[in-house]
Amino acid sequence: MASRAPAATGRLLVGFRKWYYNACGFNKFGLMRDDTIMEDSDVKEAIRRLPEPVYNDRMFRIKRALDLSMKQQVLPKDQWTKFEEDFPYLEPYLEEVIREKKEKEEWAKK
Amino acid sequence: SGVWNFGSLLGLCLITQILTGVFLGMDYTSDISTGFSSVTHIWRDVNYGWLIRNLHGNGASFFFICIYMDIGRGLYYGSYLYKETWNIGVVLLLLVMMTAFVGYVVPWGQMSFWGGTVITNLLSGVPYMGDTLVQWIWGGFSVDNGTLTRFFGFHFLLAFVIGGGTVVHLLFLHETGSNNPGGVNSDGDKISFHPYFSYKDLLGFVIMLLGLTSLGLFSPNLLGDPENFTPGNPLVTPPHIQPEWYFLFGYGILRSIPNKVGGVLGLLFSILVLMVVAILHTSKQRGLTFRPVTQFLFWTLVGDMIILTWIGGMPVEHPYIIIGQIGSVLYFGLFLVLVPLGGWVEN
Repeated sequence: MASRAPAATGRLLVGFRKWYYNACGFNKFGLMRDDTIMEDSDVKEAIRRLPEPVYNDRMFRIKRALDLSMKQQVLPKDQWTKFEEDFPYLEPYLEEVIREKKEKEEWAKK
Repeated sequence: SGVWNFGSLLGLCLITQILTGVFLGMDYTSDISTGFSSVTHIWRDVNYGWLIRNLHGNGASFFFICIYMDIGRGLYYGSYLYKETWNIGVVLLLLVMMTAFVGYVVPWGQMSFWGGTVITNLLSGVPYMGDTLVQWIWGGFSVDNGTLTRFFGFHFLLAFVIGGGTVVHLLFLHETGSNNPGGVNSDGDKISFHPYFSYKDLLGFVIMLLGLTSLGLFSPNLLGDPENFTPGNPLVTPPHIQPEWYFLFGYGILRSIPNKVGGVLGLLFSILVLMVVAILHTSKQRGLTFRPVTQFLFWTLVGDMIILTWIGGMPVEHPYIIIGQIGSVLYFGLFLVLVPLGGWVEN
């Protein structure tokens, strides 16, 4: 019995996260979550480090989204980015950039 | 989207106000004995004077519609992250408010005189030199001829200061380029100004001018105060002194705080709070397009401003006092606490 409660809570949390993902609406433009991250200096450096195919895919998605937004349209429902298919492609590079920045700051203090 | 039109519309508003204002200035006399009657003379005798005055007065309302929409766009889509452009924009808002305030005194009607008296008296709350400061602004011991002549001068001058500020505002904007509804980097997808944005802006101009002429020709006194049809009289106080609609939200905040200095600070910070918005941005996303929680808070702010505007026009009695106080707390609470919290939660 005790082992079922966390599983139920976990399912509820995933359900809520999926609902919130769809409520955000960026998937309707064919965007992934990491496409919408605000480009500060750290994010710009992380984008610079992306492998070329990943960068090209990102640029394509953003260009397509800008075009749709300009026309006040969204993609057909079958082309919306799905919650299960979205993955944080930028996160490892961003974490690396932030880690390096902190390391540099530590060295600069010495 | 269409909300990006308000920048160019503000430029059109400024040109309209300057043009109509210069023509009004050719026949207006800034003296308390002739000021009100010179406005009457413009209206009745000067060729198309009634139209020029109509456009100038209602044009001021459209100026504020456009500036509030421009600020709303900036808040919704995170355009304030262009900090230099945004902060100059806040300075421009303050300049426009100052211009509108001194400009409203110029016709020297009852509301011109008494509105001018109420607001200039607020400066007496400044510690130590408050009373001296007020008399210095007045050019005498009350709102009188000295006040009118200098207010007309300030009104004329500030219009061109706004023009200069606009140039600097655009200078900084052109360093970064415009934002977009998605809040994404659009460097890889630029299109030429002409014909896309030239025609888009032209359409905006046509719609706004249609709105201005409709208001001016069908219902020119809709947004005005009937008290201003009576010449200013220091011996007769109107029962309800209130500013024009675009200042009512600030007036509501001012009157909600039962302390003169506190009220003045509340009024001041209701505008200056815009300068800290960028510092309090917590979300990983730029705008609210993909942030449903903060979208709800944004529209709560819009509703709150409408309520504060309503309260500003109501007499200071129950239940308007408590509604105004709750509205004022909510206004600052949204900017300083709730929206940053919303961004953090959404992350």
